[in-house]
Amino acid sequence: MLYKLLKKEDYREFINNLVLNYGVLGPKKINDAVHDFVPVSTADEIDLSYRRTTLPPAKKILFPSCESLVRYELSGSFKVLPVIESSRAILFGVSAWDINGMNFLDRIFSTDFLDDNYMQKRRKLTVIGFDCQPSDSNFAVAMGSEYANTGFDLFFTELEAGYFIRVATAKGASMLIDHSRAADATEGDFKSYNRFMESYRKKFKVRVDIKDFHDNFESVYNKNPLWDRLSKSCFSCGSCNLTCPTCFCFNVRDDVMINLKEGIKSRQWDSCMIPEYGLVAGGHNFRPSASNRLKQRYRCKLKTFVDKFGYFSCVGCGRCVEACLAQINIYEDINTIKKEVTV
Amino acid sequence: MVVEIREKITPDSIYAPEVATITEIRSLTSTEKQFIVKIDDPQKREAFNFLPGQFVELTVFGVGEAPFSIPSSPNNRDFFELCIRNAGSVSGALHQMKEGSKVGIRGPFGNGYFPFEKMKNNNIVIIAGGLGMAPVRSLLLYILESRSSYKGLTLIYGCVEPGSILYRDEIEKLKNTGDIDVKLTVDRADREWSGNVGVCTKLIPELKYPPEDTCIVVCGPPVMYRFVIIELEGKKYDPEKIFLSLERRMECGVGKCNHCHIGDKLSCVDGPVFSLWDIKNLKEAI
Repeated sequence: MLYKLLKKEDYREFINNLVLNYGVLGPKKINDAVHDFVPVSTADEIDLSYRRTTLPPAKKILFPSCESLVRYELSGSFKVLPVIESSRAILFGVSAWDINGMNFLDRIFSTDFLDDNYMQKRRKLTVIGFDCQPSDSNFAVAMGSEYANTGFDLFFTELEAGYFIRVATAKGASMLIDHSRAADATEGDFKSYNRFMESYRKKFKVRVDIKDFHDNFESVYNKNPLWDRLSKSCFSCGSCNLTCPTCFCFNVRDDVMINLKEGIKSRQWDSCMIPEYGLVAGGHNFRPSASNRLKQRYRCKLKTFVDKFGYFSCVGCGRCVEACLAQINIYEDINTIKKEVTV
Repeated sequence: MVVEIREKITPDSIYAPEVATITEIRSLTSTEKQFIVKIDDPQKREAFNFLPGQFVELTVFGVGEAPFSIPSSPNNRDFFELCIRNAGSVSGALHQMKEGSKVGIRGPFGNGYFPFEKMKNNNIVIIAGGLGMAPVRSLLLYILESRSSYKGLTLIYGCVEPGSILYRDEIEKLKNTGDIDVKLTVDRADREWSGNVGVCTKLIPELKYPPEDTCIVVCGPPVMYRFVIIELEGKKYDPEKIFLSLERRMECGVGKCNHCHIGDKLSCVDGPVFSLWDIKNLKEAI
């Protein structure tokens, strides 16, 4: 890791150089309510005061909601051609929790079998992080994801003297050195960085009691009245899954092209909250009730991957809380579940 | 979070199927057909080695993809069989197909298979319900082909009615060989049926094999497992020697789509065959 400082007056020049040389996707204000990561044409279009985007930026690029996997001919020798689309991209201004969410997806798509549809895009993606302001429902501190250790090429933190930059990769280093006048960070910069992080963590107002949570999850797993209560208002719409930076369930479908000579195999996001999720041919449904599906979603986020990878698969971004039409709130539910097991 | 990314120069798709030909179709019952499938590319066909209990993802081009277990013997290297019930969109389309039709095959998949090597020098009990015959038949055929490596062999097979017994002619022939003790049962008998009536659980108390050297294999509809396990545990059979094949919805077969999760396990990469010990404390496994 290299540590650099970029003066505020040099920031625009650096971003504009990146835009000119590579193209940049950054957080842009779309309307009063929405920010989205879109290609920008100058540094001025980037609005780093954003608190949340509807879709997680990295997932939007690496694991799009619908993606072609295979093309094939429908006659003769039925030639099968893999479709792997990827292009170079720079994401600028990604929050630490969204980087941690991407790190989780990286792990999923590179474990057991290597998913090249994801990994080819990942290798071509440059990620520049930024300590952006948390939204009111953000509980990233509780989930330990308000700080990113890995997954980014450069990480920007805004200090009074300028941008404190953590340089994690050679690719990031050469971008910064070739296109800006960043200097080595001084001892004083480190001190103000530490002060910043201390006050930054205090900006996360949501209090969540996640300590020893995953072991205790087991003991409430069969408490059906609790789950019925928590899921009572659920519409099984799947909004929580669609906005989640770590949800990765997908369906694979085959379609015939309009020329009737070719077919295409593609994947689309699925949602563990909709009734068809556990349905198999013959009519058996492994997850027939909304109560069971919510329980499974919480287990997937808060237990399964602690057992499997050693960390939560919830980064605490709060998107599902804000997207839920039924006002189901994961951090309130964590606290409720925790109370059930506390003597 | 530590992320490991393996480098690879040429991209490769884990979702691209191999083109294969259905060389033979035979009706087994009114709802199940047997398909013999041969992968077109000779090199890929040679490389296709499966183990009993593993499955393939079969694509009906333009319709969809679904997982099917392989009921033929792993010693057959040139082709494999599939036993498919007309139940969904992919299986429905397959039932419409004719010999010579092309399908796509990915696999074989599943790191959990029936451990036929470890099972040697043990008595083997195979308990199947309905279509659960498909995955266990591969093991059954393998054992019959290396019969001297195993001790006693019992098949307990339960079906709804005599007409729905899969591979019935084959099983009837086996009865007379002396290689295997066959116990068939049906839920609803017809006039010709003179065998057992009732669920296959009822035949478990008759087992005489001692727990020390007996391996048990179970496959059937989800509801069957709970009751079979109660019976087996009652007879003190070793949970590490009881193997169950668990069906779940699968979309990818390669541990990505997450549909087949059972707690922190995935049926497609960790299973589909699990020992009872592995899943005993796994909520909602059985």
